[in-house]
Amino acid sequence: MTKYILKRILRSLVTVVIVFFVVFMLLRFMPLNGYFPDEMVKEADEATRMAYLRNLGLLDHPLVQLGRFVKNLFKGDLGRSITVYPKVPIATLLVEKIPVTAFLGFWSMLLGIVAGLSMGLMMVRFRSRIGDTLGNGYIMFVRAVPSLLYLFFIQIQISKWFNLPLVYYDDKPLSWILPIVSLALSSIAWYALWLRRFMVDEENQDYVKFATVKGLPKKQVLKKHVFRNAIIPLSAYLPSDLLNIISGSLVIETLYAIPGTGGLLTTAIKNQDNNLVQILVLMYAVVSILGVFLGDLLLAFVDPRIKLTDD
Amino acid sequence: MKSVLKRVLAALIVLSMGLTAMVACDKPVDPANAAADAQEILESKEYRDTYKTYFSTSYSSLNYFSTSYATVREIVTNCIDGLVEPDVYGNYVASLAESWEHNDDYTVWTFKIREGLKWVDHTGAETEYALTAEDFVDGIKYIGDPLNGAYSLRVVRNLIAGLYDYYWGLDDIDCGLDTETNRADLEASFSDIVGVKALDEYTVQYTLESSAPYFLSLIESSMLLLPVEYEYAMALGEDFGVDNTKMLYCGPYYVSEFKRDKLIKLTKNENYWDADKVTLNTVEYQMIPDGTTSLEMFQRGELDYTSVETEAYQSLQNGEWADNLIPNEFSFSTNYLWLDFSGANPEYNTFVQNENFRKALQHAVNRTSLGALREPVDPARLVRNTINAEGAIFNSEGVDYTQLEPLANVTNADYSKDPAAARTYMEAAIAELCNEDGTIKGVSAGTVDYLPVIKTEVDGKLPVTLIYVGTDDEDEIILAQLFEAMVEEAIGKDYIDVELAFDTSGDFYGTVGGSVDGPFNYDIYWDSLSTGYADPSGILGRITTEGVENVGAYNVPEYDALVEKALSAETFDERLEYFAQAEAFLLEGAYMIPVISSLRGYHMSYEIPFTGPRCLYGNVRYKGVKVATEALTMDEYEVLEAAWTAGKNK
Repeated sequence: MTKYILKRILRSLVTVVIVFFVVFMLLRFMPLNGYFPDEMVKEADEATRMAYLRNLGLLDHPLVQLGRFVKNLFKGDLGRSITVYPKVPIATLLVEKIPVTAFLGFWSMLLGIVAGLSMGLMMVRFRSRIGDTLGNGYIMFVRAVPSLLYLFFIQIQISKWFNLPLVYYDDKPLSWILPIVSLALSSIAWYALWLRRFMVDEENQDYVKFATVKGLPKKQVLKKHVFRNAIIPLSAYLPSDLLNIISGSLVIETLYAIPGTGGLLTTAIKNQDNNLVQILVLMYAVVSILGVFLGDLLLAFVDPRIKLTDD
Repeated sequence: MKSVLKRVLAALIVLSMGLTAMVACDKPVDPANAAADAQEILESKEYRDTYKTYFSTSYSSLNYFSTSYATVREIVTNCIDGLVEPDVYGNYVASLAESWEHNDDYTVWTFKIREGLKWVDHTGAETEYALTAEDFVDGIKYIGDPLNGAYSLRVVRNLIAGLYDYYWGLDDIDCGLDTETNRADLEASFSDIVGVKALDEYTVQYTLESSAPYFLSLIESSMLLLPVEYEYAMALGEDFGVDNTKMLYCGPYYVSEFKRDKLIKLTKNENYWDADKVTLNTVEYQMIPDGTTSLEMFQRGELDYTSVETEAYQSLQNGEWADNLIPNEFSFSTNYLWLDFSGANPEYNTFVQNENFRKALQHAVNRTSLGALREPVDPARLVRNTINAEGAIFNSEGVDYTQLEPLANVTNADYSKDPAAARTYMEAAIAELCNEDGTIKGVSAGTVDYLPVIKTEVDGKLPVTLIYVGTDDEDEIILAQLFEAMVEEAIGKDYIDVELAFDTSGDFYGTVGGSVDGPFNYDIYWDSLSTGYADPSGILGRITTEGVENVGAYNVPEYDALVEKALSAETFDERLEYFAQAEAFLLEGAYMIPVISSLRGYHMSYEIPFTGPRCLYGNVRYKGVKVATEALTMDEYEVLEAAWTAGKNK
């Protein structure tokens, strides 16, 4: 197992390095105009623009830039934002933004799991009855209706009905409710949908039929046998979900004015903020790969039948 | 096409409804009693000492030298004082400078700074740093170093004597072009080279490259002329201004709280030299990226100000907030059609050199209809025929620059008056440029390659193909469709064929045009220019034949000569007269086609207008502004405006 883990870590590192290198080089192929704000494109002459780029180190050979970046990274210096937050240290930005996003993301994930699994259970327990229909209706609604519509409704109307703040404030816990609920809506549907599917699959297994024939109550069969087996494939996604809470949601963070990481990568790419893009890509690549890796380990842990190695 | 006509029709219906409503509700204000009525309104109000407003795009940094104007000026304007400031009527009065003088040709300006002032930190506590004339010299020294990456440097760099040479001297050293000069030596010679000097501890003198009667307005508009405590800024290096704790303040407010992308709180600076006149104790900015949310928050009493866009205006005008909708007042930014004189479209390129064709376009554009897309209630107030805005520049007798002859002819022209004019001009152009069989002289069939935006075929015959390129923004697409409809209708489809293309790259200036360095992937596009300070040179100097913004590459030596004459005129009035002639020449020849001002929308507010400084070129200053406990109504606004106008005219 140790050997497997070491091999996976090594492979993950290689993947991260490749992803990072590709992104780093692609950024250097972007048009130079993208580094300038509109007012500079319109007003500044060519020489001024070149001076601006030179001072940012963007005219150096890409490999020189890569060497400088890696050297600084090993010294713990993540560099400074170029265009999105000019000269602000990226470490400062991440320290400011990640906790906000992660905090809301964590509670929404928890809500998503608890409510989603409960809904999934209810749908199976009352299969083909009103509980199942309601659950399916919810899932279809969340998946089919453009999210902006109901997210906007929640923000404007529900906040009015329950007298809740319209936007997020870090010192007003009541203002956290609607963003957390909004963030959780799709994951509730996701967990409910997949739990139902896996449980329906399990229900058709012989051991379930046997337990039912033996006379065990349906509730007990569902809880002790079906649920336990159905939850196993879902558990593989938990580490990814947990780690991805730092990535945030662009729409919800915009709606509720949450100063988090949602949309940060998109904005950085749009503004060709190389330093910020590089760090974020590196961070998200590590998080994604680590999530999958931990998911596999967790799967082997919760289900002893699953072996990750040949021996 | 049908949908465009529907939209135009809808706009006209809304326009007529709006006008009817306005006529029905309008109560004329008696100018004679305006002052007394205004006083009554002011006395009837209760006031508070906090003001809650919002921002919709991030304040990325507070470094006022190295951050774009759009994102930081509103905060800086209230926290760092300049040498002068506008009073309630927009006249420049003493600020950090107690007094000032200039020589006869406005090339040397000397300011006497207030004594005994100190910079404060983000807690409002006085620091050990005294505010002296040297801080203004240091501000120029800071922006003069390319390594500090100052933004929008061109105007100031070209104006202050020697600054251009100093900047490029350092840059030559930095990029290895000059290996003989030592950087430290050049930096040490700053005061010998650059025309800004501290004559004594409290006297700063600027020597300018050219006559600048507008220099005080430039002080209001440009953050690059603000002071800096150099020792402090240099000690912080790149950290200077990254948040409120890495800044020093000398204005009526300091930034007491800075939560990036969330909240900025300005607190009254008790050590401010004019603290008695600071009426608000705190000004709080929240990040609200969405207009609907800000409107809802205003209605729930969580904000003291909200902008109201056209769609929201229409839903509010019959409700409980109808009386509180106040039209936004003015915009010095002008939207215009920019014509490319060097494009790859042979048909259009032949025609655009012809004045009659350009005039046909000028007369084909119905400005009121285009204005209705933004301002359905009163689109006529958006119409603008000039590049420089009305109400922005005045001569010594108080005459508006846009009303100086011969520019007044352009300002007051109604290009839509004669619907047949556009076609008549086009027929004149065709007579000069086409053969009798409709083929265009000297033009053969070919391909127009404006990729990555559009590639199309032209046949070298009438109708002339004109390629309008815009962004893929929804509003701009509608605007482009309307442009197509009105031009084809006014000139005739048998003479002109407008093709629309939309850039989807998100980098319009890089993909389509907007820079003299290219690309030039358009025949016509929609852009804007803004009068940034009280002088036409701010725009007109940039769009000469060799100007940095002549992105359409026209060649108009007559215009260039008039601009030269203006720049070397002996008096300010003479300067304005030459500029008026230059601008009139350019516009009468339709080398560019101004259409409407960038003004849009309405607002609702608890702020009492005309109580604070009248900031024409800079951002809102809260010094002296009164904020009431009840939202302002339109009736009150009209009375206050009438009283203010009467006061100004005195």
